[in-house]
Amino acid sequence: MKVTRRDWLVWGAGATAGVVLSPVPWKLLGDTSIWTQNWPWIPQPARGPLEVKASACTLCPNGCGLRVRMAGGWPVGLAGLRSHPVSQGALCPLGFGAHQLIWHPARLRAVRHRGGASSWDEARAAFVKACSEGPVGIVDGFPGRAASSVFESFAQKRNGAYRAVLGPESQALTPYEAWTRVPARNLGFDLENARTIVSFGAPLLDGWGTPGRFSHLWAERAAGQSDPQLRLIHVETSLSTTGSRAWRRIVIRPGSEAALASGIARVLIEDKLVPARGPMPLLTLSQAAEQSGISADAIRELAHTMVASQPVIAIANDDNPAIAALNVILGAVGSRGGIVQRSKPKHSTISTADLRDMRAVLIDSSMPWEFVPETRAEVFRFAAWDGGPTRADWLLPTPALLEDLTDMPTAPASAIETYAIAAPLVAPPTGTLSAAQFLAEIDPAAAPVEKIIRARCDELLRGRAGTVHAQESTPVTNIATAEKLEEQLRNGGVWVGEPPRAAALRCDLKEWPAERPSKPSARSSAWAAPVLPPLATKLYEESNLLQPVPRRNS
Amino acid sequence: MASAALADRRWIARSEERSSLGRFLLWLAPWALLLAAGVYAGGLCLWFGLNQTNMDNRFAFGLWIFLDLSIIALGAGAFFTGFLVYILKRAELKPILNTAVVVGFICYSGAVTILGIDVGQPLRSWFTFWHPNTHSMLTEVTFCITCYLAVLSLEYVPILLRNRELRKLPSFLIFEHQLHKLVPVLAAVGTFLSFFHQGSLGGLYGVLRGRPFAFREGFLIWPSTFFLFILSAIAAGPSFLMLITAAVEKVTGKHLVAEDVYRRLGLISGTLLGVYVAAKSIDTLIWLNVTSAAAGVAPWRYYEYKPFGTPLLFIEIVLLGLLPAFLLTFRKTASRRGWLLSAAALACGGVLINRFVMTVQTLALPTLPFDEFLTYTPSWQEVASFGGVIGYGVILYSLSYRYLPLFAKPKGDQSHVSLG
Amino acid sequence: MSARYGMVIDLDRCTGCGSCMVACASENNVPSLPQASDRTGLTPMLVRRISNGKQDESRREAFVPILCMQCEHETPCVSVCPQQAVEVDKATGIVMQMPQRCLGCRYCMTACPYHARYFNWWDPAWPAGMEKSLSPGVAVRMRGVVEKCNLCHGRLHSAQEKAAGAGKREIDPADYVPACVEACPTGAIRFGNLADDNDPVSQETHSPEAFRLLARIGTEPKVFYKSKEPWVRALADGSGAEVKRG
Repeated sequence: MKVTRRDWLVWGAGATAGVVLSPVPWKLLGDTSIWTQNWPWIPQPARGPLEVKASACTLCPNGCGLRVRMAGGWPVGLAGLRSHPVSQGALCPLGFGAHQLIWHPARLRAVRHRGGASSWDEARAAFVKACSEGPVGIVDGFPGRAASSVFESFAQKRNGAYRAVLGPESQALTPYEAWTRVPARNLGFDLENARTIVSFGAPLLDGWGTPGRFSHLWAERAAGQSDPQLRLIHVETSLSTTGSRAWRRIVIRPGSEAALASGIARVLIEDKLVPARGPMPLLTLSQAAEQSGISADAIRELAHTMVASQPVIAIANDDNPAIAALNVILGAVGSRGGIVQRSKPKHSTISTADLRDMRAVLIDSSMPWEFVPETRAEVFRFAAWDGGPTRADWLLPTPALLEDLTDMPTAPASAIETYAIAAPLVAPPTGTLSAAQFLAEIDPAAAPVEKIIRARCDELLRGRAGTVHAQESTPVTNIATAEKLEEQLRNGGVWVGEPPRAAALRCDLKEWPAERPSKPSARSSAWAAPVLPPLATKLYEESNLLQPVPRRNS
Repeated sequence: MASAALADRRWIARSEERSSLGRFLLWLAPWALLLAAGVYAGGLCLWFGLNQTNMDNRFAFGLWIFLDLSIIALGAGAFFTGFLVYILKRAELKPILNTAVVVGFICYSGAVTILGIDVGQPLRSWFTFWHPNTHSMLTEVTFCITCYLAVLSLEYVPILLRNRELRKLPSFLIFEHQLHKLVPVLAAVGTFLSFFHQGSLGGLYGVLRGRPFAFREGFLIWPSTFFLFILSAIAAGPSFLMLITAAVEKVTGKHLVAEDVYRRLGLISGTLLGVYVAAKSIDTLIWLNVTSAAAGVAPWRYYEYKPFGTPLLFIEIVLLGLLPAFLLTFRKTASRRGWLLSAAALACGGVLINRFVMTVQTLALPTLPFDEFLTYTPSWQEVASFGGVIGYGVILYSLSYRYLPLFAKPKGDQSHVSLG
Repeated sequence: MSARYGMVIDLDRCTGCGSCMVACASENNVPSLPQASDRTGLTPMLVRRISNGKQDESRREAFVPILCMQCEHETPCVSVCPQQAVEVDKATGIVMQMPQRCLGCRYCMTACPYHARYFNWWDPAWPAGMEKSLSPGVAVRMRGVVEKCNLCHGRLHSAQEKAAGAGKREIDPADYVPACVEACPTGAIRFGNLADDNDPVSQETHSPEAFRLLARIGTEPKVFYKSKEPWVRALADGSGAEVKRG
């Protein structure tokens, strides 16, 4: 039989009709749409039971309460903890991406010695050798923790030095130490009861103190109000967010904060706007006007405005004693709405020994990467991430956020004493040790962090003061044992002390402090980790919201 | 040169003379290079994604969309000539008809190819057909363009089948003859489809109430840009055909088409352009003073952003609109080839500027009060892809010219081709 | 009982901290690609800095969080999508984007006057292991599709599942809080059901200080802004003659 073209046409038509009426093309179409929906190389979220746990953020001394969503045993989302009395459910913008830091590509996973690979044994041997050859200094960026007391006692035993580095909030409290005989660590700013706040460049709305604390206060009492209950006066040299949102904004010449403070104090005293409390400043009003770049009339008006709605408090961004003296004149020291004592001083051995005299210096992971000690000692740098080129001889990998048991002492600048525990939620990678664990291995007599935390809980229980804020608030007196107290804290509860008794703080300032150049804090910002969370690109590179801060050593 | 010496002689019509195969291939070489570069650039975009272009979240549409809209407008000569010849029975334009079809085919196939690369998920291109959105101008454009490309292919096939060798196959001959009967139907369908998609391309921008610069009121669901785009396309189409034909005559060194044809094309183009300019001017005034004002934009505010100032508007409507309309219709200039072609070029330029203004300027202008005027420069991949389309077009047209009777007189046609 | 979810954003309270931006990206599995810039990055919530244009002491700045405005009337992106990959959900009023159906033609991006839509110019990628930190309940999109804020629809879904599990028809409003609302430290972003007259956020939208961006275009956005500052209010009708960028 001859196959003709007609046959081909007929069979072709028939085959086409048959295929079209079969499920084949439609199935293929459907399959194509599914294939194009999910390419195999697109990562998918984990499947697994969802849990919500509480902890605290350990990336800076503010210790915001963390609500952690976990899936498949890993943190998949962070949010603030509303029950935290200071942070009140807020986190800093970087905090919302902090759970991804666990897998940051710069994560340190092995010991490094002068750029080459090494081991914990070698590091330990070198450190022990250094300890036998001379004093050892320990630098702590987050003083007050259980780990901090490990550092302190180790340094004390070895005749070494323990250096606690304070942030700008705590530094602003150091001038009062000499006048009140209370260490800065036991003082705080009672912003909650102030009605006028004069900030000398302190970025109150822009990264000062605990995230959430002042922003809540300001939002409730000042934002959008033409006659606010809380008056924020911001003194600065160039426009900042805080200045932009402030009730009044005063622009001065760079470096003239002390001059302005002196001028204001002089007006307060001469015009008898305040009862006599303190010494006359050294500068005259016209000198103050000249140095700060604002007219004498404007300074006078500012002084009048400041006292119009009291209590008033001045906040410096560094340890400028003139601003502290202004607070004395204003009557803010030891009063409601001013500088208050939040806790009793404990014996501590913070030494002033020079790091230059040390044989070795151990830098805890709580110190910012930019910190470069002026010393020729052998430097043992603990960190969870590699922040770039560094002077340190040893890089020692530590556990990261949510991987290590830490306790959270009172946040800088807080007016009330608090205590919390950041319980670990995931296991740290093998081969990581925190500085406290490292020292505990070298000195077995030292108490480990867990024991110190238990002892602190015990102390709180025996103190019979304060309340534990969790889902509900429980007075300490209603808690039976230290174990139960610790368990509540490990599950996100926060112990809060009694409100400070303002009048108990006595201030003794005879002479106006001499002007001296301001010493910038060793911490340029609260953020201590050597790297930013990956999602920080949303703020810096993928938008124009913030200018990237150039990081030293990077 | 002797006809017998050509290596591919048997593919070329007996009565036609062509240059040697070697010379032809030499002519094709640079265009083939351009095409190769385009294929490479397009391949990069398909493989790595649209990050190969310089488009971004503000300039979501860029060079490709601008050029797509432009070549579709210029390719309107295809349907319009078919409309004039088969529906309005203007037989004097028959000599240009085949060229119009090939040019149209090139323009639309090129545009569809670029559109296929311009989407983020080309494999999902069929979703528009499966889940069409009757409110979207882009659905309309997609449907109409694909249908019209099919129509153009069907119109191209008879021309293809008139090749000397292919004619030898009787089934092809019969097929071609049957198709030939279909041509008036195809012309009508083509006109209908083109009317809608040329208009919808204008409608793409005219419906954007979020972009007051582009937004227009109109008639029922169609914004005024719908009609303006049709008008400008049918005005520019004949001009573009004139330019193409003149270029072909220049390159081949032959007289292919009567002077009369140029004049007629010019008259049609010029008249339509005149109508378009009038309509556009009225529309511009309404848009500035009524429509934009209702959206809260003061008249002339758009033109505060340099370099897109009022000179651009003047250039578009007067220099490249009114002026060529005049030159193409005014007897003294319309009778001279030089003026005609210059005016045709201006007219095509005007359409290009119009498409540019609607696509690129619309996106460059800020919409939010705190936005700023942004610019974008196409990447080499974008430019090369389009260069590839041009290379493809020249190659396809050259092949069609060489092997197909593009300008042959149909049998029985007694009109002479005058040499002079 | 259908809802109309919307927001009131108090611009007097926004301090431009950016917490909402990061919380949004974290919740919605938005990648942070090193090659992305401010014009090619994915920021479904984006905070813009504005000023009153002065350079001296009287200079004031404010911050405007921009997200999908959830337009109600002739929603620009819905009417233009060629394959109906966007629609206004009748039950919630949320403008739903289906990345699985998106062709990536980006017509919706040209249509949106608020620039609230973002294109995935690259495939998403995370450093090794970091995909374990992805938020469950939110599909990861691939390159070549458009995405935008969908008012954390995954959280609404969880709230609905929780209510269904407890045998209830209506969700508990406390269970459905978008990530940006939760993250804002000053409470500037407030979220509620505009169809419920008793909802305080719904009542706020009627306040004389409330306004919408580009209101005269007539898209009826469900995201309202609020401010007492006259120069900020000049944003309202799009003329914004006093308002400058950055």
